[in-house]
Amino acid sequence: MSGRELFLVGLSHRSAPIEVRERVALSGDALKDALVQLKGHDGVGEAFVVSTCNRVEVYVHAESDQAARAFFTSRSREAGDHVYVRQGVEAVRHLFRVSSSLESMVVGEQQILGQVKEAYGLASAVQAAGSYVSRLCNRAFATAKRIRTETEIGQGATSMSQVAVELVEKIFGDLSGRAVLLVGAGKMGALSAKALAVLGADRILVTNRSSERGLALATQVGGLFRTWEELPRLLVESDVVIVSTGAPSYVLTGEMVHAVMKARRSRSLCLIDLAVPRNVDPACADLSEVFAYDVDDLENVVESTQEARRGEAIRAEAIVEAEVMAFARERETRAALPVLSQLRRHAEAIARAEAERTLGHLGAKLDEKGKKSVEAMAQAIVNKLLHGPTTRLKEAAASGDGTLPGAAADLFGIENDDRAEAHGAAGGGDGGQPGGERATASSDHG
Amino acid sequence: MSIVILRIAALLYAVGAAGYVVYFARPRHREAATFGFWVLTAGFALHAAAIGGGCAEFGGREFFTLRGGIELLVWLIVGAYLLLHRIYRLPALGAFVTPFALVLLVPALFANKGHPEVAPEMVRSPVLALHVLSAMLGLALFGIACGVGLMYLLQEREVKGKRFGALFSRLPSLDVLDRLGQRLVRLGFVVFTVALVAGSVIASATWKTPFDPQQVVFIAVWALYGLMVQLRHSGWHGRRYAVLTLVGFFIVITSMVSLKVVPGITRHAGNYGAPSRTEVPQ
Repeated sequence: MSGRELFLVGLSHRSAPIEVRERVALSGDALKDALVQLKGHDGVGEAFVVSTCNRVEVYVHAESDQAARAFFTSRSREAGDHVYVRQGVEAVRHLFRVSSSLESMVVGEQQILGQVKEAYGLASAVQAAGSYVSRLCNRAFATAKRIRTETEIGQGATSMSQVAVELVEKIFGDLSGRAVLLVGAGKMGALSAKALAVLGADRILVTNRSSERGLALATQVGGLFRTWEELPRLLVESDVVIVSTGAPSYVLTGEMVHAVMKARRSRSLCLIDLAVPRNVDPACADLSEVFAYDVDDLENVVESTQEARRGEAIRAEAIVEAEVMAFARERETRAALPVLSQLRRHAEAIARAEAERTLGHLGAKLDEKGKKSVEAMAQAIVNKLLHGPTTRLKEAAASGDGTLPGAAADLFGIENDDRAEAHGAAGGGDGGQPGGERATASSDHG
Repeated sequence: MSIVILRIAALLYAVGAAGYVVYFARPRHREAATFGFWVLTAGFALHAAAIGGGCAEFGGREFFTLRGGIELLVWLIVGAYLLLHRIYRLPALGAFVTPFALVLLVPALFANKGHPEVAPEMVRSPVLALHVLSAMLGLALFGIACGVGLMYLLQEREVKGKRFGALFSRLPSLDVLDRLGQRLVRLGFVVFTVALVAGSVIASATWKTPFDPQQVVFIAVWALYGLMVQLRHSGWHGRRYAVLTLVGFFIVITSMVSLKVVPGITRHAGNYGAPSRTEVPQ
């Protein structure tokens, strides 16, 4: 078979454990070499590789998936057991879903689009990507962009530290001129303190019962260490307090915070309790101008975001489907065009020759207007004769029927180089297209 | 004639307010807010024409009626909002201020245009013009502060109640709202003080008798907002302050309306130079 189509061979966090993924993941020069190698394979027209920590996917526009499979098996024998293979429209759909982060671990995340863009950029740089991959990728980027603007799939916070950042932002705006206090050396606390750095806090203060760990944490988050005894004063100085100690009881009690609020003259105070069991007395939340949250509160937000995104993902899938269809149709119409233009050129040449012959006979008997009429009549016959075949060829191509363009070429005796390609590409699309979609496509034309 | 122009302006305000509300409901459509801004600006210009027309028709006396007063107040609120928008870029505020201004304008659209007999030389006095304009501008700023206070309370409910719903993401941060409300109150108080000084100059020149209800209310409102400025210095902010801006403006509106609705309660409704009650037919 001379036709090329899109093949995808890949593995992701869903199909393969990290031990396998890390063995096949590539970046930089190694990836460039791999791309050159892929392109060098027989029957491979174009190729690109998306390689992130969660997935490694090889896309080839080729006659078979052999080269793409070899990419994995040559790197790890085990990888062969974990790969998934997609072909034709299925592969196109997969790429669109990946770019739109519908395949991501956190649905709606933004990084993946950048990573796919990078993959395409790298493939273009080493000339592994050509016109097909270029059209494919641009369509994928457009799809991702459409989904981002037309749905709310990217809205909301998806991690506890992100929720903490959003909350603090809604209370204080940015944190310039304000201090963040980290109480206890818990890991989540350090993560959140780091995340809060985007809001530009003036200072980060760290306090811990053991000064050794406290000092280490202070260096880690770029803060200042203060002794545990200073805690009440620190609470007055700071605006955001992240508590994550291993203490079995409340570190911040209601009375303590009440006294602190008096000393603060009721300036707002945000308490984020990341410890289990809780370190902040829930009674604190009832105090005026105190905004207190515990792990459950933050988890709830993360969960509701995920739920909302799942809902949005359904809308996103519909957009992906529409774009996949549009891409396939555009491809196939394009594939039928060479035959059409050849056919038209052939017919017009005959019409022109016949008109000239007729005019040569009649010559002197006709005035300028009469000559024009004869030419117009010849042209009109061509148009009327070709109208039906043109429409049907376009329809056949759009619905994935590859036999008609070839038959037309045979029937009219058109010999040209485009024919094989046209036949192959249209036939290739046919291979991966389920019948349901074909019906939709032809009903569009009907 | 001016009433027709005013009604068209009100229609533009309604369209502009709708733009802002659409933006608030669907924040992805930023263009709705932009549309709202420009339609509101057009309404503002037309409203100015209506006020100018009214001045030509009635010679400035209409500002002493409920209709004229509200008309001027709303015009200043919209103007102040448009200016604020250029500085703070808070289209969410538009979703609160514009419908509020529109509702406030409704009585002016249908109210009797009765205009009291104010001595023409009084109307033309620059001190009186200063008094009326600054008093109204002060009230307009208090009105916007009230809208901001409402936004604060709504956002506080979301943040503190751990709701994080639609309002949470649409409303600005508590800090922004708190500081904006405070600035509006402070600025409004300064402008209102100018009105108080100008008003007392006129009053002492016009009347020999002591205060009448409108003057008492005026001074009470001035004192209330003065107290708010003072409370801010002694650490009041956040929720309590937002509640104050709401209560303050509620008092302003109720007293303003009742002063105009109860016939003859104040000599500001005309009858200059004489005790008012005696001349009002009961």
